[in-house]
Amino acid sequence: MYYKLNAVTQRLIKSAPSAYNPQGLRITVPTELPPMIFATPTKYVSEAGNMVEYLGHNKVPDLQKLFQKSDGVPVHLKGGLMDKMLYRTTMALTIGETLYCLMAADACDQLPPLQGSSRILYHSD
Amino acid sequence: MAHQAHAYHMVDPSPWPLTGAIAALLLTSGTAVWFHFHSLTLLTMGNILLLLTMYQWWRDIIREGTFQGHHTPPVQKGLRYGMILFITSEVFFFLGFFWAFYHSSLAPSPELGGCWPPTGIITLDPFEVPLLNTAVLLASGVTVTWAHHSIMEGERKQTVQALTLTILLGFYFTFLQGMEYYEAPFTIADGVYGSTFFVATGFHGLHVIIGSTFLAICLLRQIQYHFTSEHHFGFEAAAWYWHFVDVVWLFLYVSIYWWGS
Repeated sequence: MYYKLNAVTQRLIKSAPSAYNPQGLRITVPTELPPMIFATPTKYVSEAGNMVEYLGHNKVPDLQKLFQKSDGVPVHLKGGLMDKMLYRTTMALTIGETLYCLMAADACDQLPPLQGSSRILYHSD
Repeated sequence: MAHQAHAYHMVDPSPWPLTGAIAALLLTSGTAVWFHFHSLTLLTMGNILLLLTMYQWWRDIIREGTFQGHHTPPVQKGLRYGMILFITSEVFFFLGFFWAFYHSSLAPSPELGGCWPPTGIITLDPFEVPLLNTAVLLASGVTVTWAHHSIMEGERKQTVQALTLTILLGFYFTFLQGMEYYEAPFTIADGVYGSTFFVATGFHGLHVIIGSTFLAICLLRQIQYHFTSEHHFGFEAAAWYWHFVDVVWLFLYVSIYWWGS
């Protein structure tokens, strides 16, 4: 690439190679490409592999590392705080609802017999 | 930590069988309370507990298989047997309702007018929406097979497309069947015709919803890179279940909609 000074702008500008320009020589596209600088970085398709992040990237290896940690924590709590919260909520509901169920059954037991039915009430003696 | 010298899965202690059993207690007692005392509290609580149990139990199975590597070939074989046995039990479940239908329709009682369909029943035209429903489910069988082949060939985008299409077809079936239920000229209370029709097709519809949900979970897992081209049993189980739902519909269509009209 040849440059010359533009006297008006005081800047170097590209110019045709006037020093050596034989007849018959066709000016071809320069074989060496100028370095391309991208505003946003991109990956070549060959680098990206099979699928260029279609619907998110693969988190499975990280999750495998997390769940294979030798910390003795059972699998239902190994995910962290959310697991603990969900487990506690579920157990609270289980115990609470069992007690509610027993209370409801007891309430049904306390009901008087229906008219016309032969339902027997259990006596405590 | 000691390493196991065998290929089988010794499961960590888990609270979910207990919470599931309590959920079953609440659902049964809740149904009884609803029938007799018109209160939905127990039933609602049972449903919440059931959903929490299902979410956490199946989440743990995914962790054990995909993240901890416990689903070795012998373990996977056991899972396959398990799913096949479960689907077989479902076949027997539907067999009962088909038995009921044929019992009543092959020798119609005098109370029905001695004919089938019974006197006064306006049946649905089997060549209208029911035929469309048949086409929809058959098409969904094709798309789920396409999804399977795409997984095996490592085609991520195609798998997602095929699975999505399968789920959409499943939703379309449910929507169409819902419309049919709304527009039907007979109800569940219309004698044995109504009972056999709505109980058989109703349970089938429930299984379509269950199958669609299972496939939707598989879609989420596929997007999250859980499945490999060699190991994707969760998807296979969902596909088996979906084919079972399709076959039940074909029997329903031929027996109740077509022969029974």
